[in-house]
Amino acid sequence: MRLKSAIVVCASGFFIGAFGPALAAGNGPGPRKDAADDLTLIDTVVVIYAENRSFDNLYGSFPGANGVANASARTKTQRDRDGKPFRELPPVWGGLTAKGVTPPVTEAQTEHLPNRPFNLDDPKGFGLGYGTITHDLWHRFYQNQMQIDGGRNDKFVAHADSGALVMSLWDGSKQAMWKVAEKYTLADNFFMGAFGGSFLNHQWLVCACVPTYPKADTSAAKPSISVVEADGVTLKEAANSPKSAMDGIPKYVSDGNLTPDFYAVNTMQPPYQPSGNEPANDGDKAYADPMKPTTLPPQTEPTIGDLLSLKRVSWAWYGGAWQDVLDHGNKSPVPNFQYHHQALNYYANFAPGTAARAEHLRDGGLGGTEFIKAVDDGKLPQVSFYKPQGDLNEHSGYADIQAGDTHIADVIAHLEKSPQWAHMLVVVTYDENGGLWDHVAPPKGDRWGPGSRVPAIIISPYARRGYVDHTPMDTTSILRFITRRFELPTLHGITVRDAAIAAHDQRPLGDLTSALALKGK
Amino acid sequence: MDVDKATAVISAAGIELTDRRRNSADDGWSLSFSNGAVVEVGDKGDVSASGKGAEVVAGLLGLPGKSA
Repeated sequence: MRLKSAIVVCASGFFIGAFGPALAAGNGPGPRKDAADDLTLIDTVVVIYAENRSFDNLYGSFPGANGVANASARTKTQRDRDGKPFRELPPVWGGLTAKGVTPPVTEAQTEHLPNRPFNLDDPKGFGLGYGTITHDLWHRFYQNQMQIDGGRNDKFVAHADSGALVMSLWDGSKQAMWKVAEKYTLADNFFMGAFGGSFLNHQWLVCACVPTYPKADTSAAKPSISVVEADGVTLKEAANSPKSAMDGIPKYVSDGNLTPDFYAVNTMQPPYQPSGNEPANDGDKAYADPMKPTTLPPQTEPTIGDLLSLKRVSWAWYGGAWQDVLDHGNKSPVPNFQYHHQALNYYANFAPGTAARAEHLRDGGLGGTEFIKAVDDGKLPQVSFYKPQGDLNEHSGYADIQAGDTHIADVIAHLEKSPQWAHMLVVVTYDENGGLWDHVAPPKGDRWGPGSRVPAIIISPYARRGYVDHTPMDTTSILRFITRRFELPTLHGITVRDAAIAAHDQRPLGDLTSALALKGK
Repeated sequence: MDVDKATAVISAAGIELTDRRRNSADDGWSLSFSNGAVVEVGDKGDVSASGKGAEVVAGLLGLPGKSA
């Protein structure tokens, strides 16, 4: 059934509002291409969302891609907070490797690095293996914008808490997912939907929106309101902040989770369990304590899930280790479940006790076993989001590249053998850059993004083979495809993003179809 | 240990600082982290951890064990 007119939706307990006309092929978001493309050849969409790698960090030497070799000297040369080029990079504050890694790479060992990108796996350098867990790096809403520096990408070191580490690279060519990228399509012009970190980018994956904290200035979250300069993107430095990045990590007056107008842009906890915040002593055990300053109030913006449900398209979010953590609590280092990666657990429509929660927020199992079982059994819904558990997501600080890459490649192998494979589209991407440098300027968009460039691999029997797709895209390109394929109303954030991109005379953002050859086989 | 050092050590492990405020007695800082841990850092250098994830941050900070 095709939606032919503006609609008003109240069925699921919220008012979506009036949407534009039908999003049949040729009338949806993003650029239109060959009208003969038959999107109905894709029955099953799978999104696998890894963590915290910039494109250059992992795929910067991929043949045919816009990699580090294309980076200008200006972009590779990092500048201090006063705008002057560093004579050398500052050390990795606190050391390069995570606590417990042996042998460690200490802070002293990272001193006097030249002012340019460097490979962590260079045998003539640090010679690290892919199974090494490295120091985490700031990946926050305002810092990401300050690092991008209007597209120059020359202030990554200046606004980092990890010194030289932001300029680190890996030769990803020995990784299993590199081989997958060689087989199918690698997108080398794909950007994270929002500036900053996982919390906000997961919201952009499901909602293309920014959560809000109403009346934050009279709530427990008041101290978390950021103090920002008049430009709206620069954090106000504290009086005791080191003037040079060579002297230490910058300090800010208030580097909080909320914007001055109460949008939640850095990590807040879900209002429902599993949440980092425990229930209130006398409260519902399925909820997080709402009085904790980091508990986000339930959100009510429509999500892609709501729109899919509206059209009776089956869908699910598979959270790795979800049920295990509900039943037994979280454990570290395995599974190291990340509460703020469960994007839909912030929404009233998926509150504990609702039918929608039971149907759509599913357990991915420890090590992804439940998700893989659904793959093997051919029982995936039409749209699936799979979020690997913490130790398998490739996030710096608590995960390495090897484990996550191997896991995701294994999932891909299962998907390729699935009974549903013949009409499947899989997108493997990273939620954000993890604070790691990338040389390509993001498209000029709206207040929220796009942020830095991340890898994205498009996998399907209909994917172009051995192809590097240079089409500009961002996280919302996934939503654009889902929207177009299933003829959904357009989420408001996509409409705003499109308008902002057009207003800046940027090329329209794609909807993944540029990576596909959608002709009947 | 001071508050900046504690924050840096925990953040380096991929556990994001989500809230930082003076405690109610105004004799130290109360830090919240993305894994649910709450770390109290007194102005005199005393440190304790509580909440979900407390054992992990206690290990990172070299504290003797989780304190309720």
